Amino acid sequence: MIVEIGHYALVLALATALIVSTLPMIGARRRDPAMMALATTGSLTLFALVVISFAALTWAYMVSDFSVKNVWENSHSMMPMLYKFSGVWGNHEGSMLLWLLILALFSALVAVFGGNLPDTLKANVLAVQAWISSAFLLFILLSSNPFLRLDPAPAEGQDLNPVLQDLGLAIHPPLLYLGYVGFSVCFSFAVAALIEGRIDAAWARWVRPWTLAAWTFLTAGIAMGSYWAYYELGWGGWWFWDPVENASFMPWLAGTAMLHSALVMEKREALKIWTVLLAIMTFSLSLLGTFLVRSGVLTSVHSFASDPTRGIFILCILAVFIGGAFSLFAWRAPSLKAGGLFAPISREGALVLNNLILTVATATVLTGTLYPLVLETLTGEKISVGAPFFNMTFGLLMLPLLIAVPFGPVLAWKRGDLLGALQRLYVFAGLSLAAGLAFAYFQGGGPVLSIFGLALGFWGMFGAIADLWYRGNFGKVGFATGLRRVRGLPRSAFGTALAHFGMGVTVLGIFAATTFGTETVVEMKQGQTAEAGGYSLTFDGFRDAVGPNYTESRGHFTARKGGAAVADVWSSKRLYTARRMPTTEAGILTFGLSQLYVSLGDPMDSGGIVVRIWWKPFILCIWGGCLIMMMGGFVSLSDRRLRVGAPAKRPKVVTPKGGLEPAE
Amino acid sequence: MMYLWIVLALLTAAVAVALLLPFARSASAAASGVSNARRSNSTRAGEVEVYRDQLREIDRDREGGLISTEEAENARAEVGRRLIAAAAENDQDNTGGFANRKHRIATALVTVVPPALGLCLYLSLGNPGIPDQPLQARLENPGNNIALLVTKVERHLAENPTDGAGWDILAPIYLRLDRAGDAELAYRNAIRFIGPSNARYSGLGETLVVANDGIVTEAARQAFEQAVKLDPADPRSRFYAALGLEQGGRKDEARAAFEELASATPADAPWKGLLDEHIVKNGGTPLAAKPAAPSLGGPTQEDVAAAQDLSQGDHKVMIAGMVDSLAAKLKDEPDNIEGWLRLVRSYAVLGDEAKARDALSTGLAQFPPDGNDGKRLLALGKDIGLDADASPAPGGARP
Repeated sequence: MIVEIGHYALVLALATALIVSTLPMIGARRRDPAMMALATTGSLTLFALVVISFAALTWAYMVSDFSVKNVWENSHSMMPMLYKFSGVWGNHEGSMLLWLLILALFSALVAVFGGNLPDTLKANVLAVQAWISSAFLLFILLSSNPFLRLDPAPAEGQDLNPVLQDLGLAIHPPLLYLGYVGFSVCFSFAVAALIEGRIDAAWARWVRPWTLAAWTFLTAGIAMGSYWAYYELGWGGWWFWDPVENASFMPWLAGTAMLHSALVMEKREALKIWTVLLAIMTFSLSLLGTFLVRSGVLTSVHSFASDPTRGIFILCILAVFIGGAFSLFAWRAPSLKAGGLFAPISREGALVLNNLILTVATATVLTGTLYPLVLETLTGEKISVGAPFFNMTFGLLMLPLLIAVPFGPVLAWKRGDLLGALQRLYVFAGLSLAAGLAFAYFQGGGPVLSIFGLALGFWGMFGAIADLWYRGNFGKVGFATGLRRVRGLPRSAFGTALAHFGMGVTVLGIFAATTFGTETVVEMKQGQTAEAGGYSLTFDGFRDAVGPNYTESRGHFTARKGGAAVADVWSSKRLYTARRMPTTEAGILTFGLSQLYVSLGDPMDSGGIVVRIWWKPFILCIWGGCLIMMMGGFVSLSDRRLRVGAPAKRPKVVTPKGGLEPAE
Repeated sequence: MMYLWIVLALLTAAVAVALLLPFARSASAAASGVSNARRSNSTRAGEVEVYRDQLREIDRDREGGLISTEEAENARAEVGRRLIAAAAENDQDNTGGFANRKHRIATALVTVVPPALGLCLYLSLGNPGIPDQPLQARLENPGNNIALLVTKVERHLAENPTDGAGWDILAPIYLRLDRAGDAELAYRNAIRFIGPSNARYSGLGETLVVANDGIVTEAARQAFEQAVKLDPADPRSRFYAALGLEQGGRKDEARAAFEELASATPADAPWKGLLDEHIVKNGGTPLAAKPAAPSLGGPTQEDVAAAQDLSQGDHKVMIAGMVDSLAAKLKDEPDNIEGWLRLVRSYAVLGDEAKARDALSTGLAQFPPDGNDGKRLLALGKDIGLDADASPAPGGARP
């Protein structure tokens, strides 16, 4: 009964979404308060229904109800409870339901926290959100229904893909979807603004928290996905320029650009049209990513069972929303009023440079991702565009951006003073170069270019400190007063500094790990020793073990430094019994920010086994930097100014689901 | 199922009520004479508030020395212009006010669309008749479902991996379910934990043959050898051992082995014809009078087919072995109603009516017919066409 209730709730959700996508919009045109208020209650109802539906499917997974086809296909009664739970979205149908759940969650959040929005804007935004919900509800119900049943029910499930049986599955997709789908709110705001034909600085203020939240979650989701691929796939790499990775990276790049351009729009009312375009582009890239990953165009661990009808369905959704939004943009954008003026050398100018580089970088990644697909469709020729292409193009594009980042925050709005900024920053630039040199020296030297790369990482970090330093004016007013002044800064200033600092940390990690890392491939027999990163690693032999739903052969290694054992590590080859699928579990030893990575290869005829050993110095900086960026996002999000805008001293009349209290 | 429809109806009603709420509020507001014009402030009021906050921020920045006085003045002027524009439009909007309308069409849509669309779609997509089937509940009451029984034993073995009897039960079932890999593991575990027996070794051998597409591998040969050692009369193992010789090209030895087996086989044994075929193939003449079917096609392919035929025909023998072990177990521990039920059912499935009848009456002796368990036995007997009170009669319903 519970499963069927879930199914019915999903059907009702479609009916609700259709109502919310039409009536409030009519209401906004006719300025009819009741019909506009329907958007709020309707969005909350929609969210409640999707929650019921998602909970029903989750329940079916938890109790291993194999009469549900989706559960039977992707679960196993002997799996640990955590994987049963995360297995809900470890498959195509369930992941689309999670997509929908998060979409409905964002709509509900806009409904609850949108009390400060003009009624018509709020109604239009929620209606556009409901269009997207309707499209995905139709997609789920008609081509990816997770509630299909089996009668009679099988006794045992077919198990979850072993690669997905990992804590990462519980974290990576929800975070990534919070990011992907979060940008739908910006999209809806943009489309609503185009429909109303009015856009201003206040709009940017209202959109900012949603952009920031989506960007923050997407940052975390991508970083988590990268770390998961790093430890699970056993290749020792952390980014492969795989189309699926690019699919999540493109919205991030465009979203980062939007985050910055919305700032200009809020402060100076400039770049309005551009910001709207970016909002549409960012969510379009999210949809494109969903299409690439879900349609089966690309084969990867993400593509599950592919089905051409699904691909065509998503392609139609893509065409309608992206095509529709761009047509609307082309039609309405010329009627929007242009905003403030600024000189090329100014805070705005720096942010335009940021936008320019980020969008070109997005285009580069898009080309590298789509070109092989298009070429294969047209000529049948299979080519692979890999790291060399992206490193040459994307990498080169990022260099000027990374150099420019610290300048942005120290330039003034409207008309900046480049010479003054240089004077302020040259000490920090010198420090960065010195730090890069020292770093390379302690690692035993390296190519000149990588010293420059390391310095670039430090430049990002020191630049963020410089930003706070000059805001506190420590140089002139002394330490105590400076500290007091820094404490008085709005939270978003700390958010900016943290995010830029984190970016520097990530850049440092990338250059350190690629320059000073080593890879050793050796054939080892029991008792033999290999050297990596100053540690000697002894292979002690295999031991068999049995997990809940797999058997494994675990290779034991002891790491020694200077003859003394410092740690031991296991790397194993597993066989998941239900799917008869082998996996390799890498053994990872962490020393500070560096890691020793051990992965078992194939056994040799001679009785030995191929062992791959990587020494990855400072690799944790890559993800640590992303975590700092994420923290920056949250700190900025907690800035109370983002909640300002609710009409003050206004008696609460019939505003449904109460708006927030005015902040000041 | 009744409950399901009640819940679905309640859910639909709740959605309709939630969606009608804004209209009800507007109607009651209109009735009580509250003007909607007051609410219309929020069109531009939020925007005005944002600009006011920006002005305050500029002041803060200037006081903190973050921007110069000149910069602050410029910024103030700019934001001030926006503020004035927004405030002016705000006042203009207020004079217009919001229309307060009746919502006949809208309320009708909101009332009709969810139940209509919901029901239509659900009836075409949903399966209201299929109940939830959590695995735990199904395992507690598995009934006749072989797959569930297997899962149940598997779960038991996951917790007690050294329970040889469990592996012994599972092994032949795995083989029948075409899970040769699992069957091999189960046979080996059974041999490891409760010791060798003819049935286990010959089952293991057969599993290996099935797993290797009908080829008697060295490992299989060794298993059959062990089986014959434990029971020299076992026809199955002897057959496979001979087949192994034939596949190895040792025709004379194979023929001798087949002939020896045939001479020990009663004339009405179902596999007699198969033996004769192999004797002919290896250059001998069948012992029986009737002419053997001429062999066709390449020898290897036929061997494969033959081996598979036998293994399929032999499943019955395997099941019989399983059932016999259950019977022996029940003799020692008769206080097991599920065991008796299964035994009766198994004999009936194997077509051995006499034994089924025997088992039923012995079971009824253990569990009197007036008790609950006895009634289950009687009901089962009736289901499969046995009359427990009747004395074993020859013939019976079987064709």
